[in-house]
Amino acid sequence: MNWRNVWLIFRREVLDQLRDRRTLFMVAVLPLLLYPALGIGMMQLTVLFSEQPRTVVILGAADLPPPQLLDGHRFAQAWFETNTESQNKLEVITDLPAENADKENSKALSADAEQPTNTTKKPAASSADLARRQRILNQAKELQVLIEQLKLLNPAAVERGRPATLLSPERETTQAQLRKTMSELFKQSGIQVLIIIPPDFDQSIEAVKQQLASQRSQPRENSAKDATAPQTPASNFDYPRPLIIRNRADDKSVIAYTRVVEVMESWERQILRDQLKAGGLPEQLPTPIRAHVVELADSQQVANNVWSKLYPAMLIIMAVTGAFYPAIDLAAGEKERGTMETLLICPASRTEIVIGKFFTVMGFSMATAVLNLLSLSFTGKYVSSLAASNLSRNVDLTLPAFSSLVWVAVLLIPIAALFSALCLALATFARSSKEGQYYLTPLLMVTLGLTVFCLSPAVEMQPFYSILPVVGPALLLKERLLGTADSHLLWLYSIPVLLTSAGYSLLALWWAIDQFSREEVLFRESERFELKLWLKQLLRDKTPTPSFAEAGVCFVLIMLLQFAALKMFQQPLSQAKPNELGGIMLKLMIVQQVAIIATPALMMGIILTTSVRQTFQFRLPKLRYLAASTILALSVFPLSLELSHRLAWFFPPLPESMKQVSELLSKNEQPLWLLFVAFAIAPAICEELAFRGFILSGLRQGGRHGLAIVISAISFGVIHMVSQQVFNAALLGLIIGLLAVQSRSIYPGMLYHFLHNGMQVGLSQIQTQLTKPGLHQVFITVSEKELTFRPLLLLLCALTAMAALTWLVSQPYPPREDSPAPAN
Amino acid sequence: MIIRAGPGFSLGRRFCREDHWQLMIQLDRLTKKFSDFKTGERLALDHVSFDVKPGEIFGLLGPNGAGKTTCLRILSTVLKPSSGSAIIAGYDVATHPAQVRARIGFMSNNTGIYDRMTAWELVEYYGRLYGIPQAQLTQRLETIFSTLQMNEIREVLGSKMSTGMKQKVSIARAIVHDPPVMIFDEPTSGLDVLVARRVIHAVESLRDQGKCIIFSTHIMREVEKLCDRIAIIYRGRILAQGSIEELRDKHHQRDIEELFFELISACDAEEAERLRANEDSINTGLDDTSMNVEVRP
Repeated sequence: MNWRNVWLIFRREVLDQLRDRRTLFMVAVLPLLLYPALGIGMMQLTVLFSEQPRTVVILGAADLPPPQLLDGHRFAQAWFETNTESQNKLEVITDLPAENADKENSKALSADAEQPTNTTKKPAASSADLARRQRILNQAKELQVLIEQLKLLNPAAVERGRPATLLSPERETTQAQLRKTMSELFKQSGIQVLIIIPPDFDQSIEAVKQQLASQRSQPRENSAKDATAPQTPASNFDYPRPLIIRNRADDKSVIAYTRVVEVMESWERQILRDQLKAGGLPEQLPTPIRAHVVELADSQQVANNVWSKLYPAMLIIMAVTGAFYPAIDLAAGEKERGTMETLLICPASRTEIVIGKFFTVMGFSMATAVLNLLSLSFTGKYVSSLAASNLSRNVDLTLPAFSSLVWVAVLLIPIAALFSALCLALATFARSSKEGQYYLTPLLMVTLGLTVFCLSPAVEMQPFYSILPVVGPALLLKERLLGTADSHLLWLYSIPVLLTSAGYSLLALWWAIDQFSREEVLFRESERFELKLWLKQLLRDKTPTPSFAEAGVCFVLIMLLQFAALKMFQQPLSQAKPNELGGIMLKLMIVQQVAIIATPALMMGIILTTSVRQTFQFRLPKLRYLAASTILALSVFPLSLELSHRLAWFFPPLPESMKQVSELLSKNEQPLWLLFVAFAIAPAICEELAFRGFILSGLRQGGRHGLAIVISAISFGVIHMVSQQVFNAALLGLIIGLLAVQSRSIYPGMLYHFLHNGMQVGLSQIQTQLTKPGLHQVFITVSEKELTFRPLLLLLCALTAMAALTWLVSQPYPPREDSPAPAN
Repeated sequence: MIIRAGPGFSLGRRFCREDHWQLMIQLDRLTKKFSDFKTGERLALDHVSFDVKPGEIFGLLGPNGAGKTTCLRILSTVLKPSSGSAIIAGYDVATHPAQVRARIGFMSNNTGIYDRMTAWELVEYYGRLYGIPQAQLTQRLETIFSTLQMNEIREVLGSKMSTGMKQKVSIARAIVHDPPVMIFDEPTSGLDVLVARRVIHAVESLRDQGKCIIFSTHIMREVEKLCDRIAIIYRGRILAQGSIEELRDKHHQRDIEELFFELISACDAEEAERLRANEDSINTGLDDTSMNVEVRP
């Protein structure tokens, strides 16, 4: 590769992009303007935003005990402890006569001189206002009547602490109707919260206070006498409580309710304090355990918490958008403007062209991400400092430490590289810019999904996550910014994160180069697409083996069927009796294998290809391949078990359902033949038909056998759902795929699959017997729970397996069978 | 309008392998298959063979969709042949695409120029990609710009140019590395008479410098005026080839346009006959019999 050409192309593309106003706007101007504009917008909104006051109705307000709860048509300022602005957000309508409002005030005043007095005169309410209040009040009274009815019908529905009584069906329906009427009335009335104060409530409160005061004045010895007094303390404390009516499903009602509760609680605390004082008891009595909190987080750490969520998300999203538009312009745009061919006939090779373009896209992706982060950080810091001076709250967002910023830069590289290569490959595939835009949505959706996953506070760095694309760097960045995790551990995690990210980026780049080297991609003409034509073509131009796309469809079909079957299989399992559960599970597994895995592959093979025999490689293999398959199965089995045992820490723990399956294996409840059919014979036949049959031969149609084996192995892994099994199955898929390709037959693979799974079943069955001493203990040690292989056995197995694989690979690949065999 | 290489700048000879000096372009049973939804697999090029010598203009004459562009795209290494071979200046297009690309100047309708680059920048960019040393490149650019009378559009962006200007820039781009082989794929289509005439003159002057030129077109007059030898291509097959005189004599038809129609009608008739012979075969483009050939007065 000529790096001079790469440099020339890179320089031209960058220059070209810089001359494009749209790109410049997207990359530089938008982030620099967007966040400050958003900040200004937010400020404006908070200034302009005024909440409509919510309506609270208090019935029986005349019986409110002191201290003064109300202040005209508002709750008194004193009861709003945290947010003093809330006062104006609640309008209180009481059933006090309008002219009596002042009287109520004065009554409360005389009762409690300690409360701050309300001297401000409210402007006289207009007559329209008065009428409105009257209407609301009337509706509230109607509601009160209904509540009384409900109380008669079912006291438990209204009063807390009452034992629930079993209602007769008729009463149940009456109650439901009553509730319905109430809720409709409530909705119409425009009331958000209705408070009903029981009659003589103030006297009940006063009585408690009196009693406490009298207890205090009486000597202790007389307490016995007290008990015999006509007014017992119990009856004194058991007075009717106020009722609050609200609708939880209505947001307005919820907001009003939370504010009312805040008011009521602080009002209640004040009354409690008065009562305690009257009884001569300390004020701290009701809060014996209230702890003092020492806050360790300084503003830096609070800020880190914010940044650790914002930075990874912004970094990923901006890296995608920053990569996407230049990529479309550089690939699809070049096709559209007719300059693609000019570039293709220049001496630079396709690889050089793609790499030059790739670096351009990556540069813009990184620039977009960095500019967005910078603008966001500084705006965020500025806005938060403004808000801090306004609210006198400590929300100062200090920027992250320099070392964290270095990590942002380091991790941006693999993220930008991955997205740039992906976007470039997609954009190369697209015929026009417009078509290219269509591909953005799925890419962005997947990315957003991953980002949201990483942002969840419960998700922490794990060995398994560290090797996932996007998730690994995002989580590492999050932990770095948070700064709470062990630094050494993070250094350790950086290795797999960076290595795998580089790997994924290279893979994506390879894909982009591959796309760019394919003439059917570069010169895709807009064909008229019609479903009928397409189906006709599918059936008309049948080839002996399926196409690459058909193999893909087969895999997706199997995945979808499996997803749909989850629900179907859940039902019989949940209804099964515990002792039958195992049997049903095994039978379902067989059904699943046959119906979901084998049938789609076979059907597609029969319908879409001309030679079922060639598609599924139904030919007798040479004996040496069967032998190789047996030797491989036997020697790889211990290695595979050992590997999955050793790697157990790496994967997330197995879900319950999988444990159930493995328990099923080890118990001796089920007949042995059923176990063998379900775990060994059915998978060996069905999975092989699908993955080494239809899918592998479809993938091989392009002539890339190695790639076909790898992809079929991965897809074989993916249907195993659980990450640990995905890994194991994919490894085995590689070996079986190799067997299938080299032997030109499906049978060695089936044999291998059967032997492997069969040994698993067999071993779990005889494990208990292996604890007895014997010759086998040279190779294995068996404890109560698990079976481990001795290093000697593992070494022997590894050598045998290596030899067998080397032999297999060295076999000359047999030429394709050109004479198509008759179908079926 | 003669475009001469600057002193000491003669890539033409240097780039050629001596043993292939006589035949600069050699096509041997070149075949290209495409597959699409409607017709399934189809042959865009069906065993096409011809040679072109240096100092010769070879005309590829055929209606739209005959396979001209596919053939020239294979020669420019943008497409890969399905079978057969094409050797240019001694290098096979399938195995040594980079060497081939360095030795051809290619110009077609599909080789547009960049909107956001000036004429000078664009030609210079391609010159650099061909690896011409900077000093030599500047000199070469000056020569080309003055002979093609492009000095007034030096600093004009591609998006601001007229079609004629763009065509000039394309020619400049194609000859910047002074290649021994030039391929023109319908270079005059969509141009007005004046510009088309200038392009024709440019091609002639390139021939006079000894370049080996393939010129594809569907316009008979250009062929008569320009080409030393022609091949009539239709449905991916070469129906006839030779010098114009040879073809006239062989087919007893003085008028080259009539000759063209006769050959194509014969081919269509043959195709229809073949289709009738095996009824079960599916309609492979029979609806295309009404072809549109652009004929100029």
